[in-house]
Amino acid sequence: MAHTFPELVIGGVLLAPFVSYLVMALIVIIVLRPLLHVVGFAKIFSHASVAELSLCVAILGLLMLLF
Amino acid sequence: MVATTVEQPFTIAKFPLSSWGFAIRVWLAIVLALFVSFWLQLESPTTAALTIFVLAEPTRGQALEKAGFRLLATVIGVTASIAITGLVSQARDLILAAFAVWFGVCIFAAKLLDGYRAYAAVLSGYTVGFIATQQIDNPQHVFESGMARGAAIAVGIVSIAVVNTLIFAPDRQSRLVAQLAAIHRRVREYARSAFCREAGNSTAFMALLGEIVALRPEIASIVPETSSGAVRSAAARSAAVALVAQLQAARTNGDPESKGSAWSAGEWLRRDHEVSEDLLAMRSARWPLRVWRAPLHRSYRAAAESGVRAATWFAIASTFYVWAGWPAAGVSLSFVALIAALGTITPNPRAFTAIALIGAPIAIVLTGILEFIILDGADAFPLLAIALAPFTVGSALLMTSKNLLWSSLGRVNLPYTLLILAPGNPQTYNPQAFLTTSLFIIVAAALLLAAQMLIPPVSDDKRRMWLLAEARRELQKGGRPNGETPEEATFRDASRIGQFLTAGGAQDSRALAEMLSCFDQSAILRLCDAKLIQLTGGPLAPLAGEAREAIVKRDTATLRAIAHRLREQAPQRKDSIEADIAACLVLTSNIVDRGGSVDSFRKAA
Repeated sequence: MAHTFPELVIGGVLLAPFVSYLVMALIVIIVLRPLLHVVGFAKIFSHASVAELSLCVAILGLLMLLF
Repeated sequence: MVATTVEQPFTIAKFPLSSWGFAIRVWLAIVLALFVSFWLQLESPTTAALTIFVLAEPTRGQALEKAGFRLLATVIGVTASIAITGLVSQARDLILAAFAVWFGVCIFAAKLLDGYRAYAAVLSGYTVGFIATQQIDNPQHVFESGMARGAAIAVGIVSIAVVNTLIFAPDRQSRLVAQLAAIHRRVREYARSAFCREAGNSTAFMALLGEIVALRPEIASIVPETSSGAVRSAAARSAAVALVAQLQAARTNGDPESKGSAWSAGEWLRRDHEVSEDLLAMRSARWPLRVWRAPLHRSYRAAAESGVRAATWFAIASTFYVWAGWPAAGVSLSFVALIAALGTITPNPRAFTAIALIGAPIAIVLTGILEFIILDGADAFPLLAIALAPFTVGSALLMTSKNLLWSSLGRVNLPYTLLILAPGNPQTYNPQAFLTTSLFIIVAAALLLAAQMLIPPVSDDKRRMWLLAEARRELQKGGRPNGETPEEATFRDASRIGQFLTAGGAQDSRALAEMLSCFDQSAILRLCDAKLIQLTGGPLAPLAGEAREAIVKRDTATLRAIAHRLREQAPQRKDSIEADIAACLVLTSNIVDRGGSVDSFRKAA
């Protein structure tokens, strides 16, 4: 069965499902940041910024896959 | 003697490689933003491209921080647009009046903030210009227009974030550590020269203070860089506050009356140690031992006057457009709001408008060449991307120039090119639209300049006078607002001196001397107050109370007498708390006496 994406409705205005996934991914990243600092995520990689971008994309993909 | 060699950076056409990297990143991000906007069939791809220009900052952290503020300010601006249109729809004059008031409020807020926060405040103001004013004849489209703008901005932000990350835009934090360490070294040198009473000490003190305070907005921009950004930023902020405290301690230590005092030397060493600790914490991404805030001095009077003047400029421009009765004059009015808003966050708004007026014809000619000679009806995206390259890369290169005129021209040329070209899918190549937009931009800049000639922006002299009056008032009032620590309050005073220097304070030697005197007195009074708290609850508490009363009355003779009594009661050790407090009281008396003489000199003059 095809995966259906829930549409967010605020005050009668329909928002694209991608927007809600993007906002959720952003919230997850903001919550994860202190944890990443504690585990020393930035020190593991030579290019921490690329690693963090990849993590964002992975979280966004996971959210879309699971919810 | 130490010989040093400075490595010359590799340059192409007199621009260093880093500038080329920046320019190419801007071009790639614009191309990506336009491509995604066309693909998603967004209504305003120009806004996505303009977002790239706005976020074209040399480092990744700065771009990300500004992006966050741009998104937030757009949400506020769109909400305000809907509210203004909803409240006073069907009444053109009322909408314009409401917008002028909102614009003034935003400029007032911007003047109380610094860095990208100030930008966010002005953006909230001119977003209303772009949404409510442009849709003044179709209020039912305000919501859609706001959504289209929001979507385009989000696409722009994602594009520049991806390009900056994948093309390895430099991080701010490594340079910030180097800058803070260099300032720390110079503060140590200053302390050495202050102790030897070398000439030109005040100038060196001012220069260092100005540099430390100028780093304040940049410290915040390292937060979004990595997951440890928040920790490093907190350490950097504490280091900056500690540097100001150390600089002040060095100045006190160099005071002729306090020379050789074990207390002031000890105080300087303690501050030096604090700065070293904070810098180490920043390098190793650890929380500093104590987290200090870096408060900013807010001059409400100057902000209110700037807000009122900006609202008046807008009102004058609106009146002109209403009187002229041109069709689609709302577009031109939104350009007035844009130029006026961006000008107020520069040191000289009128000069900014003049540059905007001079840059407009240059940009119009260049865009005309791009649209009607180079592209001339082309409808393939790769052609647009290639044709845009020389114009965007050239403007971005100019933006990095150290020459103020060139960098300003680059800064106005890029957005004008994007605004006039208005890339669309399909591109219309309409000469009439080209001419109308060009005319609207020139009229907007000329009209704003005329309004600013009629009602000039707040002058530097006035700003300096208000800052000095505020410094005097705060010194007399005493106390610390919002439970600030003495170090934080000293940083706030330092930020006031920074604003004073930005307003051309270096040339006004008399006011500068008084400003410095107020700074010295406030700092030492706060330190004295903190020291006297140590005596609370002990046998010497009544003496501390007397000292506090004497400080309030600025009674230096009593203060010296109390210091004498403290010394008599102190144990024989030189480093006891009582001896420290006595030394602090004597120094306070000296500085307050000297401040009094500066004040009487001013009154006599």
